[in-house]
Amino acid sequence: MNKGKKIKAFGLLLSLLMLFSFSSCQETVNNIRDTINETFSSSAYSEEQESSDKKQSSVKASEAPSQVSQSSMFTLDSIPEYSGISYVEINGNVPYFDSADYTETAFESYSELDSLGRCGVAYANVCRETMPTEKRGDISSVKPTGWHSIRYDFVDGQSLYNRCHLIGYQLTAENANSKNLVTGTRYLNVDGMLPFENMIADYVKETNNHVLYRVTPVFVGDELVCRGVEMEAYSVEDSGDGVSFNVYAYNVQPGVVINYTTGYARLADDPKSTTEKEKTYVINLRNKKVHLPECSSVAAISENNKKTVKSTLFSLLNQGYTACGTCLG
Amino acid sequence: MIVVICVDDKNGIGFNRRRQSRDRLLIADLVEYSQGRKILISGYSATLFSGFEVNTEIRENLLDEAGEDDICFLENVDPAPYADRISGLVIYRWNRHYPSDKWLSLDTTAFRTVSVKEFEGSSHECITREEMTR
Repeated sequence: MNKGKKIKAFGLLLSLLMLFSFSSCQETVNNIRDTINETFSSSAYSEEQESSDKKQSSVKASEAPSQVSQSSMFTLDSIPEYSGISYVEINGNVPYFDSADYTETAFESYSELDSLGRCGVAYANVCRETMPTEKRGDISSVKPTGWHSIRYDFVDGQSLYNRCHLIGYQLTAENANSKNLVTGTRYLNVDGMLPFENMIADYVKETNNHVLYRVTPVFVGDELVCRGVEMEAYSVEDSGDGVSFNVYAYNVQPGVVINYTTGYARLADDPKSTTEKEKTYVINLRNKKVHLPECSSVAAISENNKKTVKSTLFSLLNQGYTACGTCLG
Repeated sequence: MIVVICVDDKNGIGFNRRRQSRDRLLIADLVEYSQGRKILISGYSATLFSGFEVNTEIRENLLDEAGEDDICFLENVDPAPYADRISGLVIYRWNRHYPSDKWLSLDTTAFRTVSVKEFEGSSHECITREEMTR
């Protein structure tokens, strides 16, 4: 990850995304970061004990950012439902960085993928040194968790999903780094994340200052597609006068309902909505198929195997049913 | 007064009490536009003009204090409440999208465009300067 630059990178393994288990929605992102911090610190320490032929990207523990702030109180259940704005402020728009991280030394840190192959926290001290000197390369070789090629005419560029850089290419020049790419909607990529990346990039280019930038994908349980990303930034040399924010950007696409467990998607009931209303479905208990009541196949289901339910299709699919290819294909 | 203001693709003018962007060559263009006339700025904007030979004056309530012919460079301030006193408008468009929580709400249909100029900034591919008058 040298990229010909004198970047002090963190080659530490942070296989902790299983911690994004928001089963009761009580666990805070801070808790996750606390654990990451503990692991990060101990990992950094043990790397120092290891032989000197370790990869050059390792850094001394004393140079490692603390990764967390104890003041973080961000919880997923404190985030309002998406209501037409691509992001919401967190903590009064104040980032949770630890002041110990306010350094003028460039660094980049990308968490190891977790047991499900999902990305974790990406953290960098963005400056001229970390920025690209050439155009972005091909990233199509990376298939982030939950990735599907789904196209809708009404989506800008037609593709529902983009390979979203957690830390944008224009900031740290990371191409096909699987630890920095998540499955994100076009809306998240262009409306949710890009404006913030633009703000940081311009500021760095104009001032040659450093901006701490941390992006945390937020997964629920074992879901493969993140519900959104937290983005925090702070300009170091001017103590945040230039850039300072803490926001959560929604991984949604207006007009589309996303199954975050699998990444599959369906058209929403309303072009501006991202949800699906409950409807009446007929399920075949034997072969686990879901039908619309008017489907011609319903008449062939025996009464013992037939059950009428009021639900969303996604809920039924999450329960292990599959959609009838005739009426719901 | 003549109001000078920068906007993004969504007509945003600020986010989290901060400017959305900055560009040295935009300031250079504004200095050239002013032709030596005084430019009223806030203290927050002062750093943008350091290093330029320009006649700036810091006023924290510049919209209230500006004279009829003064040029007022605004950041993070919507001039709409002062519409009646605005005789000219210079809008710099970043031609990029930034986060915003403050927007330009001035009704620009009351103005007519007298000139449009596009130029490359120091960190922006294309900045548009639109000069308008009543």
